[in-house]
Amino acid sequence: MPEAMEMETEKIYTSSDRKNKILAWICIALCFLIYYSIMSIIAPGKKYRELKSEYGFRQNEKNPVDERIFTDSTYLSILKEKSFLQSRVTLAESDSIYLTVNLHDSIVNLEINGVSVHKADIKRTNISKMLKGEKDYVILLMLSVPLTVNRNFASIEKEPLMIKLAPKDTSEYEPDIIPDTADYEPVNFILETDNGTILCVYQAEKLRAGDGIRLFIFDVKHRVRYAAADFARIITFRVPVYRPFIKLRIPRSDAKIIYRALPVQGQIAVYS
Amino acid sequence: MEEISIQDNESKPDDDINPADMDQKEKNEKLMKIVRNILNVSMVLLIIVSVIAFFTYAVPAIQEIPEVVKTSITNIDSIKKEAVYKKQIAQIKRDVQRLSRKYNSYTSGQSYLVINTTDNLFYLYRNKKLIREGHCSTGSYKLLKTEEGRSWIFKTPKGRFWIQGKTINPTWKRPDWAFVEEGLPIPSADHYSRYEYGVLGDYALALGDGYLIHGTIYKRFLGMPVTHGCVRLNDEDLEAIFNTLSIGSKVYIF
Repeated sequence: MPEAMEMETEKIYTSSDRKNKILAWICIALCFLIYYSIMSIIAPGKKYRELKSEYGFRQNEKNPVDERIFTDSTYLSILKEKSFLQSRVTLAESDSIYLTVNLHDSIVNLEINGVSVHKADIKRTNISKMLKGEKDYVILLMLSVPLTVNRNFASIEKEPLMIKLAPKDTSEYEPDIIPDTADYEPVNFILETDNGTILCVYQAEKLRAGDGIRLFIFDVKHRVRYAAADFARIITFRVPVYRPFIKLRIPRSDAKIIYRALPVQGQIAVYS
Repeated sequence: MEEISIQDNESKPDDDINPADMDQKEKNEKLMKIVRNILNVSMVLLIIVSVIAFFTYAVPAIQEIPEVVKTSITNIDSIKKEAVYKKQIAQIKRDVQRLSRKYNSYTSGQSYLVINTTDNLFYLYRNKKLIREGHCSTGSYKLLKTEEGRSWIFKTPKGRFWIQGKTINPTWKRPDWAFVEEGLPIPSADHYSRYEYGVLGDYALALGDGYLIHGTIYKRFLGMPVTHGCVRLNDEDLEAIFNTLSIGSKVYIF
């Protein structure tokens, strides 16, 4: 066989080998994506079952309740009202500053000991499908317990501390600089609560040119964080964590007030 | 011999190529290489962006698709006629009324003051109605540190407080930080240099732990976070608050 032909044949083999390898990788990637999607789809159901076992109704032998009552909309409407009130009363009895989110009336309220100290209108809401089930007794019972914030993520600081070193003597003394009240930062924050629900509060207005991009970057950063956590679970053959969410758009000034006022482990009552 | 002749035939056209054409060909090849590289890089970037978008946007969207099996609302008429149902509804309605009454009782009918430290604003309420609002000054969030390791944070505390004392023509007893801040030596506890007259305005209302609501000589800073933790007000607002709130009145700071 001539040398040129041999080389040509080798080239063809190498090329087809490469193609096969690429095809194999594509197949593996597709299989992984399908597996990933299936595991992700399972997650909400698992979360609901967890919530049901934690907050769901438990039959009391002494005082049995007909479970058919949980399929009655009148009963559930009153239960919803009671849940919200129960949450607020529990929170009012603590000495802390807390937040109430009334999705029905599109209002967020900052309260201290049952006194409303600041009110803000919700401009836009986006709730996860699971929480939209307002006529579901598991969700209603879950919301009757105040949510406690576990972690905060924000585009602004909770306490804008300025460090100043004390002068050694009067010659080193310099009067304080007057704070720049025109200093601008977009206000977006995420509160992760103890039962896995996430409250995202974003400023409603686009006051500066970069606001949209900065919100996008803020949002992507946290999506990547959650995706990385889910990825780690999925590759170890565990169902990822489903995080029910409530996304709110409120005016920037209100968002800033709420974030700065709410304690690090603040509490939230939600009425859907 | 044959091979040689083939090689000759093949080498002939190359010899005929114009050097300018050769340059053009090389340029085209270079250009093609660059285009190919750009395409490859773009493809890799596109794949990376698609993968990120899949994990961060597509997957959460997929999770919202399936309907979680929940209790379906059937509104069975027969259950509504049952005594157990009626009892349950009556019980829960009583609970709602009880909780409602309890919740409403938290908002005092008496006078109270609300202070917003983010925007440096105050709101004075009487009989659950807003009667006065305006600017104030609250803590600067300055952290003062000394070389010896002492430190103070100048922030206004948040939460519910009570008026614990009311003073007319208050005198300011300067704490240690007031001297440290200016680079002065700290005098003894009752040294005369600790007492300053007329700097707190005409009135002061004590909130406990040394925090006061008082007047100021720096009126141009009202509405700004400049204090050491106290709440500063202008003379008229301070007088109105002093006359409206009594000892035990609540102050809500957020």
